[in-house]
Amino acid sequence: MTGVSIEDLSVAFDGVPALADVTLRVEEGEFFTLVGPSGCGKTTLLRTVAGFETPDAGRIEIGEDVAGVPPEDRNVGIVFQDYALFPHMSVRENVEYGLRYRDPPPGVSAAERVQNLLELVDMGGMGGREPANLSGGQKQRIALARALAPSPDVLLLDEPLSALDASLRERLRVVIREIQQELDITTIYVTHDQEEALAISDRVAVVADGRIEQVGPPETIYREPATRFVASFVGDNNLMEGVVVSTDPPQVDVGRRTDGLSAGDPETVLPLDAVDAVDRGLTLSIRPEAISIDDETAPVTVSATVEAAEFMGESYRVHCAWHDYTLLVRSRAREAPSGDVTLGFDPSALRILEGE
Amino acid sequence: MRAWAERAVLPAAILATLATAFVVFYLPVLGVLSSAVVVTGELTIGPVLDVLRDPFYTGAAHGIVTDPLAVPGNVLGWITGGFYGVSFGLFGFTAYQAAISTVASVALGLPGAFVLARFEFPGRRTLRSLTILPFVLPSIMVAVGFVAMFGRTGLLNDTLGAVGLGPIEVLYTLPAIIIAHAFYNAPLVTRLVTTAWESVDRRQVESARSMGATPLRAFRDVVLPTLLPALLTAALLTFIFTFMSFPIVMALGGLELATVEVWIYDRVQSLNISEAATLATIETALSLGLMYLYLRYEARQRTAGGAGQSLPRMALLRGIDTLRSPLRLAVLAYGLLAAVVFIGPLASLIIESVTAPNGAFTTAYYEFLLAQQASTAVGTTRPLPAIVNSLVFGAGTLFLAVPMGIVVAVLATRGGRGSRVAEAVLSAPLAVSGIVVGLGLLQTVVFGTVLFGYRLTAAGPVAIVFAHAAAAYPFVTRNVAPALGGLDERVSEAARSLGATRLRALLDVELPLIAAAVLAGAAFAFAISIGEFDSTVLLAEGVDSYTMPVALERYVGNRSLGPNLGPATAMGTVLLAITGLSFVAIDRLGGRWEP
Repeated sequence: MTGVSIEDLSVAFDGVPALADVTLRVEEGEFFTLVGPSGCGKTTLLRTVAGFETPDAGRIEIGEDVAGVPPEDRNVGIVFQDYALFPHMSVRENVEYGLRYRDPPPGVSAAERVQNLLELVDMGGMGGREPANLSGGQKQRIALARALAPSPDVLLLDEPLSALDASLRERLRVVIREIQQELDITTIYVTHDQEEALAISDRVAVVADGRIEQVGPPETIYREPATRFVASFVGDNNLMEGVVVSTDPPQVDVGRRTDGLSAGDPETVLPLDAVDAVDRGLTLSIRPEAISIDDETAPVTVSATVEAAEFMGESYRVHCAWHDYTLLVRSRAREAPSGDVTLGFDPSALRILEGE
Repeated sequence: MRAWAERAVLPAAILATLATAFVVFYLPVLGVLSSAVVVTGELTIGPVLDVLRDPFYTGAAHGIVTDPLAVPGNVLGWITGGFYGVSFGLFGFTAYQAAISTVASVALGLPGAFVLARFEFPGRRTLRSLTILPFVLPSIMVAVGFVAMFGRTGLLNDTLGAVGLGPIEVLYTLPAIIIAHAFYNAPLVTRLVTTAWESVDRRQVESARSMGATPLRAFRDVVLPTLLPALLTAALLTFIFTFMSFPIVMALGGLELATVEVWIYDRVQSLNISEAATLATIETALSLGLMYLYLRYEARQRTAGGAGQSLPRMALLRGIDTLRSPLRLAVLAYGLLAAVVFIGPLASLIIESVTAPNGAFTTAYYEFLLAQQASTAVGTTRPLPAIVNSLVFGAGTLFLAVPMGIVVAVLATRGGRGSRVAEAVLSAPLAVSGIVVGLGLLQTVVFGTVLFGYRLTAAGPVAIVFAHAAAAYPFVTRNVAPALGGLDERVSEAARSLGATRLRALLDVELPLIAAAVLAGAAFAFAISIGEFDSTVLLAEGVDSYTMPVALERYVGNRSLGPNLGPATAMGTVLLAITGLSFVAIDRLGGRWEP
């Protein structure tokens, strides 16, 4: 068992960079998730760790430097989105395959190891089946058992749930997390689903354009997004650009842009907790659940108009027009809000992101 | 340590394959080329110029070399003189017959594509898979089939004679060669164009129609742009193949209608090796140039496989109404013509093999095949050894060609520089005639090559297996590479991450999953070996390693065996049976051949 260290890693395909200067440290036994839009480089990072892509620069350590070490000697287990089971082998032969080349744990025979793993993924009686006769969820359990059978140092999961339907996805991610904790195995998980990433991980790295935007526990990623990209990618959010109009009291005008063409609009001046310089352009974010509707006691209130309300089950997702912005607001009222409303929030809920 | 050894196996196999390809193909061909341009140790283009200057070879075009300044004036004179007939020369005639053969193949093959792509009828699938058959039929056997059909004692004249009409002479005329070439290449046209036609997404045509296009307009705007590249590809290939065609021209044309290829063979026979090499060099330069054009063109037009639905097919037969539809009547007439051209020669072959000159049923020719064994007279070609030799060489070819073909397929599907090398290694044998390879093997392998101070020689049978392997391994690769490329890469990556080396992943996972394609490729290789004539006929000269096709040629050529084709047709029928079985194996295993 070991962690994974990645330093200044760069990978390019035909001169097009896929990863640029990525540095990460995955701790021993940690469930670490790479999340980002498709094409951001997260799968490339996973494949480079597994040894299927060759880095142009940087180093990867899995206990030791693995530069030049072929995939078969890295002792990592990998699970792919499309399962990649060997169709010409039975379920048992699939799980047993890795034990042809690596020994089972001391004191356990290969057959026992296979049976233990099939039971671990709740497929104990399925050893004789052919992969073609399994459902998608069953196939993914077998793929997981197969990857775990040779006791890998690191488990790599490349969008393992993306091919499954929503309810199965949520059930299976709990299974994966439980098995990971039971085995205490270092795990790198790749997904484009930010909700899945937050639900399952010890820590999350948000990846965009081949770069790491932010690394942290799910709570930090959600509550304290470091960049504009993280703020907009992870969860619903409202982003506004504005210019600081005074530092005492700290105030920002989100109706005015740094180009200075539009004059300050008093109605769009919002108070902040603290800000350092006048005329500085900045981006603000505020989560929909931090905004209340028709709560006159809120520290700051503005008038807006409801454009649409989507019923989400436990709440409404309300789209409110306010000046140039459409603000998303969560409402737990029994009825969908409509018409002119008053939106209220606490200035401390406004988060300042760097840049405009 | 074991993993270390396993890791060495694949690169070693790649090296061994390239080395084998070098010995069985490149070395011989380079040997031929060098003997044309190196005379007594000095580099010279003299012999090549001699050929180009000789009106016998280049016809009216020899002036381009002898007196280039006079060419414009002569061309002008030719135009003002009313395009009087000019001498083609050997190269001109070869190109001329290839051009007419190409036109004939397109004319015969294109309607077939229309029928197969646009009509539904019982047996359509079978017919479609039969279009691959000509590639495995030995050309000398087809030539014998044509003789059996059109010859003086052939089925056609027998039938005409029965109704009181005089014999007609088709053999030893250009039309006989053209029809036989069409027999071979029209199915290629049909198959490539049918595939293109089926790839047209019906939604595209429907969109065009919904935007106001008439059916004709939609065909012109949507369907035709897909068909034309396929048609051009097929025509170019047909031209290359018929330019290099040998047994058909030799058996159906003789020396009066000789092409470059036949002439090279004749030069080798009369031991004029250096002139043969010069001719072979010029021919190979021409065919490689054409193949290069083909590859450039093909690389540009490779279309993405449409996931869409192909155009709906019309029912061909509609009871009695069929006879009221001019289109369907035309299709039926075409079917009749195609049946005569394609079934006629093969049926004639079989019928003639059991028909005595007086028209009665006989098994004498098959008895002859067995009886001939006892004969020890010098120069006789005994049938049984021919059959045994063919089978042994076929097995030897499998032994070489299947591993080579698989290794090249692995190289080709890896992408990057390796796949470009593989592409070149694969395509060159298609553009170099069997005669040239045979001549080269004779010069390098049989007569011996000095390599690192050692004189290496091999006996005729080994050289024959080399020649067959050179011809066969591209077929293995063409079957294995698409199957390998179609495998989910993740499956072998999963094996690798579980501890399997690249080699183990290939053996444990990839090859078992594409076993059918490997077997189809092997069946192809076997059929190619069984039917190979061009280089075998050169290499089997004077040794007891003749094969069935070579024996067949000797039976056709040797009129002393009697006034009829009996023994040749009997041997041809045996050959047809074996290649037919190979075809069934290929078809059942989903074999394919896209050049």
